[in-house]
Amino acid sequence: MKMTGQKKEKPVKYSRIRRIILSRILVAPFIILLMVCGVLVYYFAATLHSRVTGEMIRIVDDHRNMIDQFLSERTEDLKFIVNTTPYESICREHRLAEILEMLQKGSPAFLDLGVFDHSGNHIAYQGPYDLEGKNYQQAVWFQAVKEKPVYISDVFLGYRNTPHFVIAVRKEQNGVFWYLRATIDTYYFNNLVENIRVGETGEAYLINKEGVFQTKQRSGGKLMETDPDFSKTNLPGGRIVTYSTTDYQTNKYQYAIGRLHQTDWQLVVRQEYMDAAAPLIRAVMVAIGLIFIGGAVVVVIAFFLASNVAHRLSLADVEKREMTHQLIMAGKLAEVGEMSSGIAHEINNPLQVMKAEVTLIDDLFKDIAPQSDTDSENIEMIKDSVNQIGIQIDRCRKITQGLLKFARKSDPVIKKINPEELITETVDMVAHQAMLEGIPIETEIAPNLPEIESDPSQLQQVFLNLLNNAVYAVRESQKPEVRVIADMADKWIRIRVADNGWGISEDHLEKIFLPFFTTKPVGSGTGLGLSTCFGIIENLGGKIDVESDVGTGTTFTVLLPKG
Amino acid sequence: MSSAQLLIVDDEERFLKTTTTVMKKRGITPQTASNGEDALRIIEKTPVDVVVLDIKMPGMDGIETLRRIKELDPLVEVIMLTGHGSFDLAVTGMRLGAFDYVMKPCDIPELMEKVEDAYAKKQAMAERKRSNGENGTTPRAMAVFDAQDAATNNEKE
Repeated sequence: MKMTGQKKEKPVKYSRIRRIILSRILVAPFIILLMVCGVLVYYFAATLHSRVTGEMIRIVDDHRNMIDQFLSERTEDLKFIVNTTPYESICREHRLAEILEMLQKGSPAFLDLGVFDHSGNHIAYQGPYDLEGKNYQQAVWFQAVKEKPVYISDVFLGYRNTPHFVIAVRKEQNGVFWYLRATIDTYYFNNLVENIRVGETGEAYLINKEGVFQTKQRSGGKLMETDPDFSKTNLPGGRIVTYSTTDYQTNKYQYAIGRLHQTDWQLVVRQEYMDAAAPLIRAVMVAIGLIFIGGAVVVVIAFFLASNVAHRLSLADVEKREMTHQLIMAGKLAEVGEMSSGIAHEINNPLQVMKAEVTLIDDLFKDIAPQSDTDSENIEMIKDSVNQIGIQIDRCRKITQGLLKFARKSDPVIKKINPEELITETVDMVAHQAMLEGIPIETEIAPNLPEIESDPSQLQQVFLNLLNNAVYAVRESQKPEVRVIADMADKWIRIRVADNGWGISEDHLEKIFLPFFTTKPVGSGTGLGLSTCFGIIENLGGKIDVESDVGTGTTFTVLLPKG
Repeated sequence: MSSAQLLIVDDEERFLKTTTTVMKKRGITPQTASNGEDALRIIEKTPVDVVVLDIKMPGMDGIETLRRIKELDPLVEVIMLTGHGSFDLAVTGMRLGAFDYVMKPCDIPELMEKVEDAYAKKQAMAERKRSNGENGTTPRAMAVFDAQDAATNNEKE
């Protein structure tokens, strides 16, 4: 039985169910997602770090070799000259110029060339400066080259007062040493080192063993200044090392350092850590982005899913309640039906005896009537009383028959019926009286309703009952109206009797089909009307249902099987 | 009034007594039995044309009694009396060859009319049986057929 009053029975804990489902759906994927992302980032970071350091070591190694090679080639050039050219010959100015020209063809790094005697006197000079005749006895490079055959100086200012470095070679001729010195073009050499580029912030430079810049530092260190981070980069050993540390400005750098073979200089390649780790950071950002986007998608899907499931669950819940309600109702009706037929039977037996007695008394009166004129008034009264007993017995019989009809113990007489005719006839029986009371009965009958096989007199009894109830219910309405609507619904002929009367409360709605339930004043109704209707319709294979809202009206729906 | 031999079977003693009195006054003298066994004993001993039989009785119930009566003498017509209004039981009764069934409480004169109808039918059956002789018609099968026929006719009235 539908209860419109069920509106207040809201889907129980709908949001709670949704929350539970949502959390269950989300927790596992999120843990997995986080784990996957974490593992990915970890391994990516490890790989990237080793790749970055490997790359830097490779750069240092390559360029160190290149610089070493450059220096050794230049040295070999000078050695070749001192070994092939005698001191007397080289001191001649044009000869020195020829040699410089030849060297410069080999490598544009040669800036100038000078010849020195054993005591450091500048014997011959070819180059852009005017240095001839100066004495270099006290010069650092001269001191050094006296001790060993080849010397590559650190960058110094010298007489020319610009930063440069020199390669000097020593030659012994006839027991006396002489020296050839070449200046390397600072600009050229700077380019050679400086051109190493790694990423955005990567740079390469040379420092000597005191930490003085031998080439410019792209990020600011000037030639011949001391590297402020020297303490962090001065590492012993010939192997290339790489590590990350912060500089004096607290920027984090990834360093790779290798010592040159030809001199004491160190090649430093460094890159800002954030720059070196940029791909990693991008990867992490992408991963986080994916987590967020994926998470958002999962959340949205899960939300809809959970809502859907929760909605279905709550619908199922409502359905189950309705079903339980219907089952209880059906059980109640069946129980009451069983009881009713028992009661009817038990009452019918004594009624039968009473009826026989009444017949006997009637017959006896017929016998004694002619003999007694005397007490005729009393006898008439007794007759009337007996007659009344007969009437009351009939009344009881109607009740027991009503009960039996509710219990579906009556046998229908099945005939072919045109539903339209049946409804019109039945409505006509009530319509006249209703019109007198100012209550219109509207009928809306769908065309071409199929014939049905049913019991016309029982159906008529049902519809009369429903119509009378409807008319009774709208008596006090402002605009009383009763509507009878007949149409097809699925495989059923559906006949609805609707009124806009005072409606039926939920309490009453539950009991409405039970025998003897009535809201009419005592004596106005037996309360068997609707229970009989219920019994008849069920017995005919149909269904009867009621919907009602207090103050709005009531609709009884009868479904009859088609054909 | 014809002289139908009537037997009324009901467990309600007062009903038997009163009905007997009323019927006697109206020209039929019924025999009575308050249970199925007694009824069968009476049918065995004395000729009975029509039985008015209450379906619900303690001991042997009406349906069983009906079956035994029809076994004993298929020509005996049985009117079932029911206070229960059970359609199924009524149908079972009709299948077993009952003439009709009447809902309690019923009018005695109406009941007597039914008895007359049943008696008339019995007479007709007996007549037909006599004329047919021994041509193999099973009286019992006929009884079932006619009984159902009569029942439907009866309902249509």
